[in-house]
Amino acid sequence: MTSTAVSLDENYESWLFQAMIDELANNELGIKFIYTVLEHLAKRHDLTDVVAVLEHESLTTQTFRLGGAAVSPEWAARMAGASGVYCEPDVVSPSELDAVRTACQLALSLHVARYTALTDALTSIANRRAFDNFLAESTVRSARYGWAFTLVVIDLKDFKVVNDRSGHEVGDRLLRHFGFALRLSVRQGDLVARIGGDEFAVILNNAEGHEAMGFVERLRENVIKAGESIEFTTGTATSPRDSTDPAELTRIADARLYAKRGIIQR
Amino acid sequence: MISPTEEDFELELRSLHGVVNVGFRYGDKGDVDAVSLVVHGDDVGPVRVLAKQIAALYYPDATVSVEEMKPVAMASHAGGGGSEGARVVLVRAEFNSHEGFCEVHLNVNGRVGVGRSENGPLIGGAEATLDALRQLDFDIPFYLVGSVNVATVRGWPVIVTLRPRANDADRHGIAQAETELVSSAKATLNALNRYLSQLENFS
Repeated sequence: MTSTAVSLDENYESWLFQAMIDELANNELGIKFIYTVLEHLAKRHDLTDVVAVLEHESLTTQTFRLGGAAVSPEWAARMAGASGVYCEPDVVSPSELDAVRTACQLALSLHVARYTALTDALTSIANRRAFDNFLAESTVRSARYGWAFTLVVIDLKDFKVVNDRSGHEVGDRLLRHFGFALRLSVRQGDLVARIGGDEFAVILNNAEGHEAMGFVERLRENVIKAGESIEFTTGTATSPRDSTDPAELTRIADARLYAKRGIIQR
Repeated sequence: MISPTEEDFELELRSLHGVVNVGFRYGDKGDVDAVSLVVHGDDVGPVRVLAKQIAALYYPDATVSVEEMKPVAMASHAGGGGSEGARVVLVRAEFNSHEGFCEVHLNVNGRVGVGRSENGPLIGGAEATLDALRQLDFDIPFYLVGSVNVATVRGWPVIVTLRPRANDADRHGIAQAETELVSSAKATLNALNRYLSQLENFS
């Protein structure tokens, strides 16, 4: 990417800079900001349509249209590969278009970075890092305010056998389907994570231990709907009743899972 | 506006292999009631399945449509109505290195126009395209202001700027193809799309 000298009027420069700083401060600079900037550009110049074409090494070249509207396939084909901001000709200066493109590009790059840092690439659910952070935050809230939540740890039965007999491709598909079934089974605000090879964890907010039973039933149904016959075992621990320490809570849930499977922990 | 959760949802859709655009349509209550994806690739089937799964997590009632990105490599629509007859087709664009000229062949409803320019592929592609259109009896009251290769992008994206002889706004076209010459020719046609669609003799 080339650096271009950008000449903008003071108000606009100030708005763009301040908006980016605000989003950065909240760690929220992302796709939403791209639409915000396009809307601002449209409003400023009374434009009816604006499209940003952005590149990222881990994505196909992306197009974003004012208001999150769809782009026609023909238009997408015409613009593919040519990053920039497109609108009615000669209304917006090239300098301003370049500033908008740069801001949008930064927003996309940071969103992808944040997303990939906290997401399991195979299943698109939270990864171990995101889980650890969320569990730590949840236990703090639980200890301080007494808010209950239940941690559910889940272990797939004989997953290694599936991998060995049918190959990693089948194993990966199973994990993806299981991750999807997990997402279908929780409520908004709960966290679903893959914390190991075939180990998953769920944090059910505002839920006591017995409420996890409903979740487990939904999960079983959704696994079957996904066309998989894999069995799984769960163990639960509830904060603050069992503990408000993340490591202790995890240990209790694991111990209950092992007990169900008849495994004695050393 | 999109909540952080919806942002991640959109990014998840955009992360699917070949997806180049995600669009939303909002219902009366502000909920997303339709999700549209444009996908670059021959087989959109797997993307369609995954996109429906993902959308079901966030907007169970939303319809999901997946459209394949149509190559515009050899055709440039110029008709607002989109009828088959209203189309300029770029048949061929070649640089004759032996004799040092660019040659562009255009087809309109079976009529072929051939344009030439002795400039290199970048400028010559645009000039030869304008020449070919004039050979097809189109009145093209524009002159070439610039043909620029966007060197910061992979491939050969080219932006062509045409200025009307009348005191009117410049027309811009952009295209990316396998060679600079083809990009330049296609960008020229793109710049003229709106003008050509208004010509009587076009249809």
